[in-house]
Amino acid sequence: MNVHTTIKNAICKIAPGTDESKIVPEADLAKDLAIDSLARVELAMALEDSCKLSLSEDEIEEVVTVGDIIALLESKSGEE
Amino acid sequence: MLDRVVVTGCGAITPLGLTVDETWKNMIDGVSGIGYISMFDTDNFQVKIAAEVKDFDSDNYMDPMTARYSDRFTQFAIAAGKQAAGDAQLSIHDSNTYDIGVIVGTGLGGIESLSRQVNVLARRGPSRVSSYTIPMTIPDSCTGRLSIEMGIRGVNLSLISACAAGTDAIGMAYRMIRHRELKMAIAGGTDASITPISVAGFQQAGALSRSQEPSNACRPFDAQRNGFIMGEGAAILVVESLESALERGVSIIAEIVGYGATSDAFHITKPRETNEVAAKAIELALAGVNRDEIGYISAHGTSTQINDISETRVIKKALGKQAYDIPVSSVKSMVGHMIGAAGALGTIVCCKVVNEGVLPPTINYEYPDPKCDLDYVPNIARKKDITVAVSNAFGFGGHNSVLAIRKYNGK
Repeated sequence: MNVHTTIKNAICKIAPGTDESKIVPEADLAKDLAIDSLARVELAMALEDSCKLSLSEDEIEEVVTVGDIIALLESKSGEE
Repeated sequence: MLDRVVVTGCGAITPLGLTVDETWKNMIDGVSGIGYISMFDTDNFQVKIAAEVKDFDSDNYMDPMTARYSDRFTQFAIAAGKQAAGDAQLSIHDSNTYDIGVIVGTGLGGIESLSRQVNVLARRGPSRVSSYTIPMTIPDSCTGRLSIEMGIRGVNLSLISACAAGTDAIGMAYRMIRHRELKMAIAGGTDASITPISVAGFQQAGALSRSQEPSNACRPFDAQRNGFIMGEGAAILVVESLESALERGVSIIAEIVGYGATSDAFHITKPRETNEVAAKAIELALAGVNRDEIGYISAHGTSTQINDISETRVIKKALGKQAYDIPVSSVKSMVGHMIGAAGALGTIVCCKVVNEGVLPPTINYEYPDPKCDLDYVPNIARKKDITVAVSNAFGFGGHNSVLAIRKYNGK
């Protein structure tokens, strides 16, 4: 499964009702997808589970867009 | 001058139905909403049965995101609250939002969500616990969500008084409206505590029936009663000043004419043996009522040995010989014990009784108990015109809370 699909699945799981077509790399998590600070923590846990990696609080806080998450996950999987 | 206070809307999610009308029809037909527990595996439990809400679909009342992060007790309250607001033709906007409050009682709050996250904590550690644990679990998450869902900006209170919570929430709304602190309130009770930890806790306290036969397990005031049946659901009312209701031109369901609340100051679970404190709550609720008008009591009637004897004595202590002439029934025989919602549902029952002239029965009544010697409307609904109906609720902690409901006759 590619990283974008993994993220899409995670967002749909933690924020049911999200319009999938809006989950594009340039989408702003807060402004476009209504993922607030609480939901962001849920999203990080969902990604950690599905990608079998661990994300620090700083890493999660720095993310603004879906593209940022893609980059973050790709850099993390490169590390392993 | 004090305002008069009326009920203009009712909503309910109960083991007997997903609306007030469906619930009421089943009550009058003497239907039991009690069955084997399906929500968790009861293999290691002595208690096997409960009154579950069936086929509840949160999608009918809220978006999926709200549903995902709202405990079941909150979902029930949102559903019943929206039903009540619809019934009252309530439209909330900038010019009235601060005049409306949301006051809802609960016994156990978000215990299902809490249990789930305690398991996550134990299995996977703190870093896997949901960020929504606290906002799903704290008892006021329900009124917080209701306020958001309905756009209510007046007082937002969650009232915690165990099995009397729904009654006290309505009583608090009644007092605030009466004293002109609010014009209107969404008030009632909710609970969703058919969970392993709460069933185990009540089982160990000796409060729950161990009967294996759902159809007749709950038998309030019957000699063979052996404990209460855990129920769940929500009952919410729109309570408002008479003036506000007349101004809005909406139909008035009934008038709230009294509220009494006392505390046993005796034991954390047992009612006070001498019964005068609970009787005082009834007397306070009836302080402004002509005693001849009292026609019905919706009993707390849990089906425990101790409650039903104690409540019988309490009613006799408060009303004297008149107690023998007043029908008393317990809808818990059909819906189980909805904990924080119980007294609010009892209040809705009183509203229906004064309007419909029909009393719901106490089902499963077979063997009279000499210590419970009132008229419990056994097994079959009864036609009777009622002017004033009384709703009793008592709770662990010594709560005694009573509301008096009068038929509204246009004056």
